[in-house]
Amino acid sequence: MALTLAAAIFLPLFPFSIVLNGMLMRLSNPYARFLLLLLWPQIGIVALSFTNQAIPGYMVIWALISSAHYALRLLTIRDLGLWAGFLASSSLALTWGLAAHHAPIEMHFFALWFSLPAALLTLLTGPLVKRFGAAYAGLYGGLASSMPRLSILLVVTVFAAIATPPSPGFFAMLNLLQRQSWPAAAAVSIIWLFWSWAATKLLQGFVFGADRRHGMPDLGRKSTLLYMSVLCAFVVTGIYITGGAL
Amino acid sequence: MKCALGTRLRIRAMAHVAGEPIPNFWPMRTFIHHNPLYGLEHMPFQKAVEEGERLFHGSGHLPRATYQRYLAQKKIDLGTLSSQIERFIANQPHIPGVDLPRLLNTLATKISEPLSIHLSVADAKDIHAELKGKALPQTEVMNDWLKEKLKSEIPPTRPVYAIVDELFGTEIGMSLDELVIKSCLDFFDEGQSVWQMPGREQGLFRAWSALAQQNLRLFIRGLHVKNILGADDTPEGIISHVMTELGVPEDAWLDYFTCELTRLHGWAGFIRWRSGAKHYHWSRNFPAGMVDYLAIRLVLGLALLREHAQSKGTPASLPDLMRLIDERPAEIYLRREFHGGHVLPVLAREVEEAICSDSESRISRLMPTYLARKRAQEARHYAARLHSLADMAGMLKHIEQLGTLEFNQLLEILMRFEKDEGQMWLNAQETHFMSRLLADLDLASQKPREKRPFAQVMFCIDVRSERIRRHLEKVGDYQTYGIAGFFGIPVGFIGLDKGSETQLCPVVVSPKNLVLELAIARNPEEQALASVLEQVFHELKASIVSPFITVEAIGMLFGLDMFGKSFAPLAYNRWRQRLHPERLDSRLLLDKLSREEADSIIRSLQRAMIVKAIGRDLGIEREAITDEMIRELRETALGNHSGPTVFAHQFKLNAQTEHNFLDRLQRVYRINSGYTQIQLERLGRIGFTLDEQVHFVSQALRSIGLTKDFSRFVLLTGHGSTSENNPYESALDCGACGGNHGIVNARVLAQIANKPTVRERLREQGIEIANDTWFIPAFHNTTTDELKLYDLSLLPPSHLVYLERLNNGLRAASRLCAAERMPTLNDSSHAENPAEAYRHAQRNSMDWSQVRPEWGLSRNASFLIGRRHLTEQLNLDGRVFLHSYDYRCDPKARLLENILTGPLVVGQWISMEHYFSAVDNIHYGSGSKVYHNVAGLFGVMTGNLSDLRTGLPAQTVLKNGEPYHEPMRLLTVIEAPFEHAKQAIEGVVKVRNLVHNGWVRMAIADPETGAFYIFEEGAWQLWDAHKKDLREKEIAA
Repeated sequence: MALTLAAAIFLPLFPFSIVLNGMLMRLSNPYARFLLLLLWPQIGIVALSFTNQAIPGYMVIWALISSAHYALRLLTIRDLGLWAGFLASSSLALTWGLAAHHAPIEMHFFALWFSLPAALLTLLTGPLVKRFGAAYAGLYGGLASSMPRLSILLVVTVFAAIATPPSPGFFAMLNLLQRQSWPAAAAVSIIWLFWSWAATKLLQGFVFGADRRHGMPDLGRKSTLLYMSVLCAFVVTGIYITGGAL
Repeated sequence: MKCALGTRLRIRAMAHVAGEPIPNFWPMRTFIHHNPLYGLEHMPFQKAVEEGERLFHGSGHLPRATYQRYLAQKKIDLGTLSSQIERFIANQPHIPGVDLPRLLNTLATKISEPLSIHLSVADAKDIHAELKGKALPQTEVMNDWLKEKLKSEIPPTRPVYAIVDELFGTEIGMSLDELVIKSCLDFFDEGQSVWQMPGREQGLFRAWSALAQQNLRLFIRGLHVKNILGADDTPEGIISHVMTELGVPEDAWLDYFTCELTRLHGWAGFIRWRSGAKHYHWSRNFPAGMVDYLAIRLVLGLALLREHAQSKGTPASLPDLMRLIDERPAEIYLRREFHGGHVLPVLAREVEEAICSDSESRISRLMPTYLARKRAQEARHYAARLHSLADMAGMLKHIEQLGTLEFNQLLEILMRFEKDEGQMWLNAQETHFMSRLLADLDLASQKPREKRPFAQVMFCIDVRSERIRRHLEKVGDYQTYGIAGFFGIPVGFIGLDKGSETQLCPVVVSPKNLVLELAIARNPEEQALASVLEQVFHELKASIVSPFITVEAIGMLFGLDMFGKSFAPLAYNRWRQRLHPERLDSRLLLDKLSREEADSIIRSLQRAMIVKAIGRDLGIEREAITDEMIRELRETALGNHSGPTVFAHQFKLNAQTEHNFLDRLQRVYRINSGYTQIQLERLGRIGFTLDEQVHFVSQALRSIGLTKDFSRFVLLTGHGSTSENNPYESALDCGACGGNHGIVNARVLAQIANKPTVRERLREQGIEIANDTWFIPAFHNTTTDELKLYDLSLLPPSHLVYLERLNNGLRAASRLCAAERMPTLNDSSHAENPAEAYRHAQRNSMDWSQVRPEWGLSRNASFLIGRRHLTEQLNLDGRVFLHSYDYRCDPKARLLENILTGPLVVGQWISMEHYFSAVDNIHYGSGSKVYHNVAGLFGVMTGNLSDLRTGLPAQTVLKNGEPYHEPMRLLTVIEAPFEHAKQAIEGVVKVRNLVHNGWVRMAIADPETGAFYIFEEGAWQLWDAHKKDLREKEIAA
């Protein structure tokens, strides 16, 4: 049981999820945040693999409630780093849905498909903070016209993070839905819908509208290419591993 | 319940005055170029621009970086810019050790971004300390200072919901605009919707309030408009009630109303125009005024405020807001910073958390940190820019060493300079253009022609005519003239198959005469299958059920249409045009009806009505009654006969039935003396008397100086455009014809001028039109450059032999014009051969994906009133309105006054519309066409709901995001003796004010002395080109 509860810290379930989000808030270095988000859930899955007992049914309900809680909170979050953390908290909690079916490999990949885009989002906070002082939606806006490269990366990463096809998260979510009872599947679908809503609000605050801070330089070509390569590799690998459209 | 008459009148007057700064907005079908700051034309240009910035949030000048680019391209007169800066400095305090001319010249020409930023906390001392690298002086922010600052920045004239939005991040203003726009779309619809709003004939406010009180969606949203509307029956009473509820002091109501009305100034401008357009069918049937509109906004605004107050605890009135500022100034300050978009990004999260926590202690703890960092950031930001400027000007040390007082003065000077700088650049840009144009004008006397030209061609003064005139003069023996495109004849026109009148004249004129178009040979049953099918498809598209039942059946046809229009627009449209029947040959009814003729027409109409009434009301067939009975009934209905009628006796009608029938004839069928008089007056509008005909021809010819040496052909060329899928099509048509094609006016004048009786009378006045002269109407299609002749069936046989030569010449000019114009539309710089360019232009006019079929009047810059030989040798690049005028034919300057009153004023509207659409396309223009949607068949909106877009689209004035139209005020040049021209300018009050207030730059070219005069700095000055050249050389050195 102790291991299960320890796993609840790493595959964050509220209120244990406060640990992950607290650490993300305190870490100002984007690379540190990136690594934290990438590794944190994998530790939880490893911890779960050491438990010999079956995952109790209430844990899945707890995970759904926790995930829904963070999905709702996402709607009001404007700080990109925090948004990425909350989205990861919401999506990684759903890993418990697979844990109940004893599928450790799938769990590792499920966590990766959601933690990697969220981690990549935290990397994008770096250039935004450097240029504007904060990665905060609604403060400057209009990045589409002033910083098209950064905008494209932001949009694609956010889409990947909320499991939009053809990102691996999408196929992972389909797999998850197939394995759930219909009430749980309905709950997961609603949570998924909230992610999309929150993503629309976030992108509205960053990418669209009038550019209020003129003259900011866009991302360099090399950084853009590197970042885009990682995203492409992520998508291609994901399609290969998840089997694409199943 | 009704409020007192005095209050109602006061509110009505206030709404009227509050709406005055808003320019009228004409429906898109007859797009009228207008000055977006027309309501502020009583002010000097610069002041009006500042007021426009306050009211419409639009910028009145280009960004400095664009002017700097113009400077690099040698489109700016550097000497004028420097002298403007010197003049500015002359009114500023002297700062020892600072070379202000050098500093300001450096700022203007070397620094692209504005220096001044809004300083909310930092002051000159902080910036000075930062510049010197020292710590900022210690200060303490007092609550009283904060309260005072907040109250001064939140005036009671701002709508309460706008303040609430700024402090609480609500979106009441946006919701309100959406609700108002939806209501306006419902009410003002002119046929786009299949289901119409009920009760529109009662007027905007009444129709809306009847519907709003039963609107379930409003009720579900928590907007209890019924409670508010119950307070009074009249819109004025409702306005008074809402303003009292909002707690806005009465002396602030006027400005409050202006803020409300300017928020959606497109809709307000349309309602303003509509309420004054008495001839407009839709406004006559469905009246609406500013008071109605204002009342609707206020009711919905109050309902939204109350709903938010209830659900989110936000204040619902001005006193509540002021109380909040008094009680919690720090929180309000932080709220305003956060929701107003001014928050320091680095502290954004802390601020958001603090204001959401509603904890006073947390806010108190954050406030000093926030203010200190904000102050430091502002000071650092400003100091960095100032450092860069001072360094570039080589004055860093001097500025650092300034005392506090001097440094403060310097910052104030810099701020004032940046406020006035746009006007300095504009003056310098205009001076450059003016000096080039004036220097090129040929003031030498005209050499007499050896023989009369092959043809004389009158074109509209439109800048697009300049190119084709130039090419026509080059290809053959053509003499061209410029005249306002309505040829001086204001015409109300009812075309074939049209039931309503179109006014073909500048909007400042109301036509007295009506012209009817009549078909020569007409078979009403002849209608091409294609037209019928088109009508069927159109109705299917408009129906809400057709998508469910017809897509499978006829969807493919629409698909074919789409492919044809998209991939082969030229061939496909030509094929489609062949399916339509040829337009019927027609004549215009131009002569006045005599009294007898008019009486006879009315008599026959009334007789037909009586026969119809007898059949419908009494069921008696025509064969049972006689003409005499009808005559007697008519006379009785008109009151010319009393007593029982033979008709009643014959059909045994009792007195009561007879009385009722006669009453219906008078009321329902309008057979009464009053209506007969109205019909007589209406018939009296048809046609022109002989005197009028002679007057109009004489005036047109005299105004352009054509009174002798007439050619065999005199072409009267109206113009218009053709484009597909373009709501702005009429913006490309003739402005002098009220945004319509100019061919009708050309036909009217030609038909009149060809009359022997008219020519005889003209001869008596000294205008000798040769016997073989024939006036031919023609049409210049400005999109394709095609010149087409009309009414050729009237041409005398003796002229037919010359027709081929005439057509050849016109075609050659068209092609050459297209070859000159097309490279400006394409991104490719290579020149096309004339035939290729001509085909390309035709494709443009038929391509429904083409967002820029032509440049229209873009790049217009000047208005020249004078003889053609002044500019005959110049390539004016389609930038100059050319109005022919020979002062020798106008000893009393009356014709010149007419030109100034009509064409010049219209030219100034066109110029200002382009100016403001180019300098700030978002606020004064209409943004990109790509997002436009037609609204109610009278306007366009961006997206599905927005303000009516009033200016020109980006595709008309911008190219690749930068101004293609070089925004300048209209430079008017009059070729006439100085006193003669000055007398005319001073004689037309409107024009005098435009000149004195700087809305128009005015120059006079005196052909008798060879001198130029310009109106500058409030007085006429002799233009010394030589002195100016010297000054430029000095600066260059």
